[in-house]
Amino acid sequence: MRRTVNGEACAFCCYGCCIAYQVKNGKNEEWEAAWLLIRLGVGGFLSMNIMLFSLLLYTDAFSGADAEMLPWIHLLLWLFATPAVIILGGPFLREAWLNGKEGRLTSSALIVLGVGAAYLYSAFAVIDRAPNVYFDTASMVLMLFTVGYYLDAVARARAARDLQPLLAAESEWATVVDGNGQYRRPVREVGAGTLVRVRPGERIPVDGVVKEGESHTDEAVVTGESRQITKEVGSHVIAGSLNLDGPLLIQSSGAANATRWAQICRSVRDALICRSPSQRFADSIVGVFVPIILMLGVGSSVYWAQHLPFDRAFLIGLAVLVVACPCAVGLAAPMATSLGIGRLARHGCLVRDPAALEALARTRLIAFDKTGTLTSGQACVAAIDSDGIGADVVLAHAAGLERHSEHSLARAVGAAASARGLEPISIRGVRVVPGRGIRGSWDGQTVAAGSAVLMRELGWSLASNLAERGRLHEATGHSVIYVGWGEQVHAVLSLDDTPLPEAHATVEALREGGVCVALLTGDLPAAAQRIAAAVGIESDDIEAGLLPEAKRAMLERRRSNHGTVAMVGDGLNDAPVLAGADVGIAVGSATDLAREAAAVVLPPGGVWTLPWVIDVARAVRTTILTNLTWAFGYNLIAVGLATVGLLRPVLAAAVMAGSSIVVVLNSLRLERLPEPVPSAAAESAPAPRSTTVPVNSEALQAG
Amino acid sequence: MAAYLVIFVAGFAGSFHCIGMCGGFACALGRDPQGRGATALRHLLYNTGRLTTYCFLGGLAGALGQVICTRQGTTVPLLHGPLDSGQRILAILAGLLMIAMALQFFGLLPRLHRVTAGSGGSKLAASLRSMLTAPGHAAPLAFGVFNGFLPCPLVYAFAAQAASTAGALHGFLTMAAFGLGTFPALLLMGGVGRALAPAWRQRGVWLAGSCILLLGLVTVGRGILPFAAHFAHGHPA
Repeated sequence: MRRTVNGEACAFCCYGCCIAYQVKNGKNEEWEAAWLLIRLGVGGFLSMNIMLFSLLLYTDAFSGADAEMLPWIHLLLWLFATPAVIILGGPFLREAWLNGKEGRLTSSALIVLGVGAAYLYSAFAVIDRAPNVYFDTASMVLMLFTVGYYLDAVARARAARDLQPLLAAESEWATVVDGNGQYRRPVREVGAGTLVRVRPGERIPVDGVVKEGESHTDEAVVTGESRQITKEVGSHVIAGSLNLDGPLLIQSSGAANATRWAQICRSVRDALICRSPSQRFADSIVGVFVPIILMLGVGSSVYWAQHLPFDRAFLIGLAVLVVACPCAVGLAAPMATSLGIGRLARHGCLVRDPAALEALARTRLIAFDKTGTLTSGQACVAAIDSDGIGADVVLAHAAGLERHSEHSLARAVGAAASARGLEPISIRGVRVVPGRGIRGSWDGQTVAAGSAVLMRELGWSLASNLAERGRLHEATGHSVIYVGWGEQVHAVLSLDDTPLPEAHATVEALREGGVCVALLTGDLPAAAQRIAAAVGIESDDIEAGLLPEAKRAMLERRRSNHGTVAMVGDGLNDAPVLAGADVGIAVGSATDLAREAAAVVLPPGGVWTLPWVIDVARAVRTTILTNLTWAFGYNLIAVGLATVGLLRPVLAAAVMAGSSIVVVLNSLRLERLPEPVPSAAAESAPAPRSTTVPVNSEALQAG
Repeated sequence: MAAYLVIFVAGFAGSFHCIGMCGGFACALGRDPQGRGATALRHLLYNTGRLTTYCFLGGLAGALGQVICTRQGTTVPLLHGPLDSGQRILAILAGLLMIAMALQFFGLLPRLHRVTAGSGGSKLAASLRSMLTAPGHAAPLAFGVFNGFLPCPLVYAFAAQAASTAGALHGFLTMAAFGLGTFPALLLMGGVGRALAPAWRQRGVWLAGSCILLLGLVTVGRGILPFAAHFAHGHPA
């Protein structure tokens, strides 16, 4: 017979071999789920025997002439029940013990107490030759709880399988090719210059250049967008992207564990270990809940013992304990959170911490930085005005300084210099002055590039016509860099920064989602106004000319109006502000410091994913809240029913397991969240302006 | 007593078909690196797990049948004894199911085969994956337990028979006989089974099919024929 297994067509001689093949050759589930399954199997073996004999007893197969077999059957049941309780109940006992040492009473304590009581009572009944034993209750309750735990582990394994490529980045294997042939190496051992072969369907493990082959790749993990990108010889590929249809031979351009993808993976792994605030809240409620249930269980037993035979009263107490187990509460948040984080990470949006996800869902105001966040950050030098020094010299000096800065304006200067084929001069002792500019020393002189404030602070003179040009450029909304050395300002560079095409659509989408948008920038008001108008931010939501401390203060003020505030930023300037917001969001190739302070990191050029990220965060929060409401709500009703005596313990355990399943299924709905869609309004950026200025200046054709 | 013997034989014969269906598993369970004794133990544990599942299913089916049909106390021994209408209906249904299974064995009902063999098998198989590779004695036992739940027409047929006995004890005994019947072939999987040519497998299937057909016809007869009561041997009415 022919079947398709895991995408390959195979032929089998019989159905059994087909299943055996599937069983042997699939990917392994998480080990925890596997061991739970084995435990379930052995427990099932014992429990089924217990149930079988209990069933025979119950249907009076041993009545009449066989009545003297009864005590022996009970003994047999005891014999089966002891290992069953030990094997199935062991983990619960251990958990209850560990929690108990910390002074916490959790659901496992309830299970241990209930099952232990049933077992001991039945054991005494065997010794006393009493008519009823409840070993079947004890073992079935344990089985059902273990089934619940198993389903939880399977669901988590499924969610983890989503994350599996992300979590396995560094332990994955790459096929390395060298003079001796090709062999498998762990990815973390791959360094720069190594040739790596990637088959279709595999994930590319390194950043690099294609040497042979052509294919399409999907770079969603780093750009957020699921698109087929053609790659051929000479194309650059990014680590983490999926190779779609053709084999590729790639020369790696750096160490594999320093790629952005490897960093995403590490962060996701760390994020999954943290407990979210909702979960901690739920845990604290459970801490109070369990002792109350314990008293309720014992109390109802005592009460009913006055009206019913001790057997029945005992069973009622057991049912109360079993049905009230808050296992579903424990499942409510973690799976939803990991599914949410995994979803986001698969599109390159990194969330470091579940608390950030929850805060993002509650965010009412998002403040944006301007340069590099709302604007393309690919500023171009539009004009250079100098006091007689050649533009090339100015650029060489400026580039020598700015190549030590990661600010986007700095990159523009570097780009302009290299476009002219200029060699930046080597400057030593480079120091960034936050909010003002950058300075260093060359040839015994101080060289500096930055704002007029920096020039003033250094005490350098500024020619009036240069100052005039500078103000003119600023008034038209450009960014301006003054360059000087030898105690004098020699030139003013005017840079043109264009808003990102999708910025407008992003701001629109955020507003539609009920989130206010503001612009906080250190740049000048005119430039801020220009960008805000293009992007759609109201003028009274703009704060310009802010130094970092002022930005932070402004955020504080807004927080009192709006509640939870988030800040989107990039670059050295924004690190303290990102740390001060409720959620700090860094975009793309942010500097290391900003990345550390940011709880959420979007892919480079990925500010358009922000509305989607907020939707995911809200979906996760809704799921967590519904799960918690269900878990507590059902608990109260079920406890009520059990106290009144309407639930048998085994039924109670089944109901409890069913409730856990409901929570798990609800959380799994998060797998169906839609993908992010880049907005349709991707108009091409307007061509940068270039102006000619008469006074000893040169205009540069942009781009 | 004779009835249980027939079931045992049916199980034995049918296990040749089982080699086709579940033999793959026995192969996959494979050899234990610690040698032949350990391998035998693994297979023994596997089959014990399977047997337990069958017995449990039999007892459950029997109890279910009992709940459906009998007033308190009377259980129905196989092939003999008084019957009431509930039991008759159950017997007819069970017999028809067994005849259908038997015909399937003869290859006469291909569509039914797809229904019984396909559904649910692969999902359960996926869960069994890791148990094959786990070390220790617990894994083969657990594997056997879950294997017993795999969809298999033989098991269904005999479970139906167990249900028709309308008694937990007899249901249990029915399936126990069946399970023990399958023991030899599957235990010997490592050696004999693979050496067995497909032709013998086919003959085994025919033999099993015939046994099941026979049992099915008898069960249906028990349900239909009005003089079934005449076979009572002094059992309480």
